[in-house]
Amino acid sequence: MKPDFITPLRVASLALAGAAALALAAPVGADRVLRLDEVAVGELDPGLASDYADSILMFNVYDTLVLPRQGGPGHVPHLAANWDGEGTQYTFQLRDDVRFQSGNPLRAEDVVFSLERMQALGRGLSFLFGNVEMAEAVDTHTVRFSLNEPYAPFVASLVRLPIVDKETVMANLGEGEGDMKDWGQGYLSANGAGTGAYRVIAHNPQEETVMVRNDDYFLGIDEGAPDTVRLRYGLEAATVRTLMAQGEHEISSQWLPPEVMRALSNEGMQLLTESGTGAFYFKMNTTKAPLDDVHCRLALANAFDYEAALKLIAVTDTLSQGSASTGAIPVGMFGANPASMTLARDVDASRNHLAQCAHDPADFSIEITWIAEVPVEERFALLFQANLAEIGIRSTITKVPWALFSSQVNKAENTPHVSQLFVNAVTGDPDTLLYGMYHSTAAGTWQSPEHLNDPEVDRLLEEGRTGASDEARDAAYAALNDRLTAIAPSIYSYDRQSIFAGSPKVNAPALSDPAQAFGLDGMGFSFRLMTVEN
Amino acid sequence: MHPVLRLLLRRAGMSALVLIGVSVLIFVIARVIPGDPARIALGPNATVEQVANLRDALHLDQPVWRQYGHFIADLARGDLGVSLYTNRPVTTDIAQFLPATLELVFAAAILMIGLGLPLGILSARYRGGIIDNSIRVVALLGVSAPSFVWAVILMLLFAFFLPIFPIAGRLSTDFLIEPVTGFLLVDTLLAGNPAAFGNAVSHIALPAFALALSGIGQAARLTRANMVETYDRPYIEMARSYGFPERRIAGRFAFRPSLIPSLTILGLDFAAMLGNAFLVEAIFAWPGLSRYGVAVILRKDLNAIIGTVLIISATFLIANLIVDLLIAWLNPRIRHGRGTGG
Repeated sequence: MKPDFITPLRVASLALAGAAALALAAPVGADRVLRLDEVAVGELDPGLASDYADSILMFNVYDTLVLPRQGGPGHVPHLAANWDGEGTQYTFQLRDDVRFQSGNPLRAEDVVFSLERMQALGRGLSFLFGNVEMAEAVDTHTVRFSLNEPYAPFVASLVRLPIVDKETVMANLGEGEGDMKDWGQGYLSANGAGTGAYRVIAHNPQEETVMVRNDDYFLGIDEGAPDTVRLRYGLEAATVRTLMAQGEHEISSQWLPPEVMRALSNEGMQLLTESGTGAFYFKMNTTKAPLDDVHCRLALANAFDYEAALKLIAVTDTLSQGSASTGAIPVGMFGANPASMTLARDVDASRNHLAQCAHDPADFSIEITWIAEVPVEERFALLFQANLAEIGIRSTITKVPWALFSSQVNKAENTPHVSQLFVNAVTGDPDTLLYGMYHSTAAGTWQSPEHLNDPEVDRLLEEGRTGASDEARDAAYAALNDRLTAIAPSIYSYDRQSIFAGSPKVNAPALSDPAQAFGLDGMGFSFRLMTVEN
Repeated sequence: MHPVLRLLLRRAGMSALVLIGVSVLIFVIARVIPGDPARIALGPNATVEQVANLRDALHLDQPVWRQYGHFIADLARGDLGVSLYTNRPVTTDIAQFLPATLELVFAAAILMIGLGLPLGILSARYRGGIIDNSIRVVALLGVSAPSFVWAVILMLLFAFFLPIFPIAGRLSTDFLIEPVTGFLLVDTLLAGNPAAFGNAVSHIALPAFALALSGIGQAARLTRANMVETYDRPYIEMARSYGFPERRIAGRFAFRPSLIPSLTILGLDFAAMLGNAFLVEAIFAWPGLSRYGVAVILRKDLNAIIGTVLIISATFLIANLIVDLLIAWLNPRIRHGRGTGG
């Protein structure tokens, strides 16, 4: 007898086949589309932005008064035509040919509003402007900032002050207390209000943000730049690999495992890079025996196998997710050593320092922690454990969730001997990298589990942030670099280098040519500077 | 009072109590997990003052019972607070993400019932034969491997090696469909756009199938086991002796009584898919509530955790209530108020 129950199976099969046929028959977009991904969520409000995805959005939807100089340290005018100032007063003359995406002209009061909004919200990167006493509109196109105290990296901080359209925000205030209600958070979390080269047309913080080019952009946009950009959030590695193989994804995030990057490279994808913004550190608790003795710390620093560490994160034979460290300051920043002065393992030196250490290594077991959310750190912990075993130091490896780690480091006695951390300079200036890690007043945060208290380091950090000229600052940071190498509060494992797999049809100079790199996380993804084959 | 109505009221009352219990439990659990929600939300660069301000705004320095009081007062106004993960009201997030998950789970449930039950019936009808053995192997595979394994296998087979189906999102970027219900399969039809509907079906096919495979196996095995037992009953033998066709015996006399125990399990399976959808949603970049739920737990986003758990619990309870009513409808002893045991 013919089994009639098979009918639902047949219907389902036909439905799926029909759907697939209809899907394949779907129209194909004709414009230049760039699809890339990052971890969720994408925060569109520039006052709340802090992560990598947020930075990509910020640098494309909004503009800032200055931009990092491409290919080296320093800054160039952007929304500002020029600026003047030092110490506690800075005056910026704005360009008069800039319009917001709403059509409103850019005015000095928009700059003042943007700063006040960021300070009032107190979220994201607002801490960078904690020392700005006030900003005032001198005239329509002139704005003056007054600082509480001299702060040389102030101009660098401005790369994190996106200018928002005051008129648009004020017309879209949501519910809240006081005159400013919610400061437009509800509106700006779903809409753009900047002068940027790309306009947001759809935003789902867990799925994707869709942007289209703003043809009225004040600097113009290359014809070959993408017409539409789809920034997708939270794609799995397997999904990204399949999408790229299908030609439905142009640039991967930096978070793919090295093995997947390698596979994509073997399949013909290009590898794009962004570096010079931070480093990977083994941070030693300088208050806890035996690491309270500088010789013991130097023994550990010399025992570490820097070359093997780079191999652990190698993507190809010549490219790794890090570059060789030359000291406490990543190559490319003020005070950094030349790229040729790489740190190297020296077991003899390590044993000599160990012999001079006031503590007997046999009395201790070094606790090496790794952050549970960053699995690659376990590999480094195992490498370091093997390195220490070679010089006769016992160690244990502990996995710590980030939430627990960030609270336990508040007290020196609860802080483990060795913590592994990636730290970035959020403005590209060494002050935002080093002050929070090594100044004695900043001890006990997630960035500073060293609990360092060294007057010489404090002095040089102050000198670096108040230096009157780039040369003076460079000299101060170079001296600081030497001091930090001599007292070794951390092991400077490698300079971080982000790698992205990209389709060959994408040309991204800021991510492939060091002379055009910005040295600031996310700014290499300025879509107006990219081109995409149609 | 009609026994079914009495059953409905009793179950609804119990569901309300369960929801209150869940809210208390999850409220306390979310607060004892290690880590400061304000620090996690503000990120590593936030200053101590910024963290303190946010803790104050979230009432985190107050005793837990007072925090719960604030939560209940806000809930009474329909306000679940703001998510620290997306910086949007939790109600906005749920309204955006829930339809995607429900659509996926409904599609998986249709596959589970539409394929699992017929396979079970076939297996029982031809027990001991090649059809039965083949279906049992397939069902065992479905039950034994988790959904995310199937998701990866299906992606490799039908997207990587044989690029037939899309693997990311709910609809191709070529279509712009105005959301009405949030269910794209419905909205594309309402928009009168068959190509978009086909595209939405092709997007949901792999994730729904991956999510449903375990349920399909479960449904097939349960249906087979129950029907095999029923086939051994004397009244089946009697039906055969009266000359009823095999198809009618299977569908009417063997299947229907076997459905009642299966239905209870399938109801639970349906509700469980809401939680199990997480990895499938992650692999297929499906912007749903399960993925959101896991993300907010990892970020210790208190308001969003409670909101998500309450919604999933409510859906679970509603699914159980519907199953209970279905069983009452199928079972004449309950329908007519006999033998329910009060």
